[in-house]
Amino acid sequence: MNEVCKVEIVREGNLAVLRTDGYINREGGEEIERCITRLMEQGVSRIVLNLEKTKIVNSIGISILIEVLEKLMEKKGALAFCRLTPTIDKTFRIMGLAQYAGIHDTEAQATAAISAAS
Amino acid sequence: MNGQPGTVPAALTLRVREILRQLGEETGDEPPGFEERVLRAAEGLSNPETHAPQVAARLLADRIKKTRFELNERVLELESLYDLGLSVAGELDVEKLADEILFRSISLTNSRSGALHLLDQGRVTVSRSFGGPLLSPESAPRIELCSDGMINNAASSQPICGEPVTNCEKCLVVPIQREGRRLGILVVADKETREGAVADFVPSDARLLGLFASQAATAVETARLHREAVEKERLERELELAASIQREILPRELPEGPGLSIAARTLPTRQVGGDYFDALRAADGSLVFVVADVSGKGVPAALLVSTLSTSVHLQLDEARDPADLVSRLHRHLFRFSRARKFVTMFLGRFHPGSGDLDYVSAGHNPAIWLTGGGEIRELPATGRPAGMFPDSTWTTRHITLARGDRLCVYSDGITEAQNSREEEFGMPRLKEVLEASRQLDVAGALEDLFQEITRFADGAPQYDDETALILSR
Repeated sequence: MNEVCKVEIVREGNLAVLRTDGYINREGGEEIERCITRLMEQGVSRIVLNLEKTKIVNSIGISILIEVLEKLMEKKGALAFCRLTPTIDKTFRIMGLAQYAGIHDTEAQATAAISAAS
Repeated sequence: MNGQPGTVPAALTLRVREILRQLGEETGDEPPGFEERVLRAAEGLSNPETHAPQVAARLLADRIKKTRFELNERVLELESLYDLGLSVAGELDVEKLADEILFRSISLTNSRSGALHLLDQGRVTVSRSFGGPLLSPESAPRIELCSDGMINNAASSQPICGEPVTNCEKCLVVPIQREGRRLGILVVADKETREGAVADFVPSDARLLGLFASQAATAVETARLHREAVEKERLERELELAASIQREILPRELPEGPGLSIAARTLPTRQVGGDYFDALRAADGSLVFVVADVSGKGVPAALLVSTLSTSVHLQLDEARDPADLVSRLHRHLFRFSRARKFVTMFLGRFHPGSGDLDYVSAGHNPAIWLTGGGEIRELPATGRPAGMFPDSTWTTRHITLARGDRLCVYSDGITEAQNSREEEFGMPRLKEVLEASRQLDVAGALEDLFQEITRFADGAPQYDDETALILSR
């Protein structure tokens, strides 16, 4: 795992998969926010965040993810997470992220779920 | 804007108070300074009294969202502590556990980096760092901390207990300890703020990380005890395997025939011993027998016994006489025993028909020869132990056993068997027991000998294998 979060983007139509690698803290969260804001400007409204290579998040990173999620929802977009460690999974559920964004085991499941979302 | 610059119109103030009073009935008391914030936000609008309700609602919603987030954070802290007591305590791999503890600590304190050094008897056994090294692993045993840990908000210029801290501005160090024993130290550094600054660590951070470290100590201790138990079990399995190989090495049956009765037994003090005996017919019909004591104990000694046994079997018919056989064994042992282990042994070639016995005693205890006429003689060592010095040589000695004569060859575990007063069984007592059992057959005499030793030791633990071979013509 990288200590500074890197984001790889795979885009297909109005859907993009972001694969993070590293710590989602303030810096990592802002990098994700930058990527999603840019994608939204290009018309992407459905985002899958694959956190397979992320082992740590902190609450500042989470607060940024919540802001991003709110922005997406304002634009009738949607966000889904996949490949979370059990600790991050639990953290997201406690911090309320799971209320508005689906949590899935695999990227394929997350992509399918978010494509089907109206 | 209505009214004097810097003053809020009374009508707007009254309107906002009315709104907050109504909201308060739904949401409880408004937070301190909230009225002021609503007034400031509303007075900038074109029609403040009309827009005041929306402004108040938006600010209140933000406020509720922030409070809910903070509440969730507290829940997360508690859950993390709870989790460490359950799921992490179930993690029995120390390496994975170290990663889990470090990641959770960094996350829990909103830190940018962290380090964990686990100690075992003052020695660093596991080191982990994230976000760059903070404290060198070598410094970990030297850092003296009270159980509350230490906040260092000037880490870039101020060392901890004389140990420099690198790659951070501020840090928090707590000990991982259990029942007064130091199991490690945990460091987190540079607490983030949403604005990108580095915040001071405060006593509540130290309390939280201290609680977390206390849970971590239990988990680390559990994982260590598990690892030790697994290692012990593995060693026991290995010893049991070696013991079973050694049992296979020892002869199941000893040769019998006219003019020959022989009985032998070994009693290892550990599962795997360093004593060895064997008796086998050579191609010329003679009986070759050996009692040997390999230096050391456990698996290495058992491996040497195995090498010795194989060599005896392979060289048996090649050697001219016992001295030649011992020389061949010696060369083999010297070549293959890198740890310079040595073997004392009594090796004889007995011709039952004539009673002729050729033997070599390579640094071994004196064998006891009981003649039919009632004499008891000792057959002392005739050379050095095998495998010890490269240029060793041995000479074959010869005696003739008359009918009714008996020979006892044994390892030093017999004469050095101790009782609780640390008295040794000794040579005089051994001779006495052999003399007393002269009328018994060799199996009975051997049984008597081991019973006498057991009676003498009276439950005292023994530290050497006990082996004896009795041969009678």
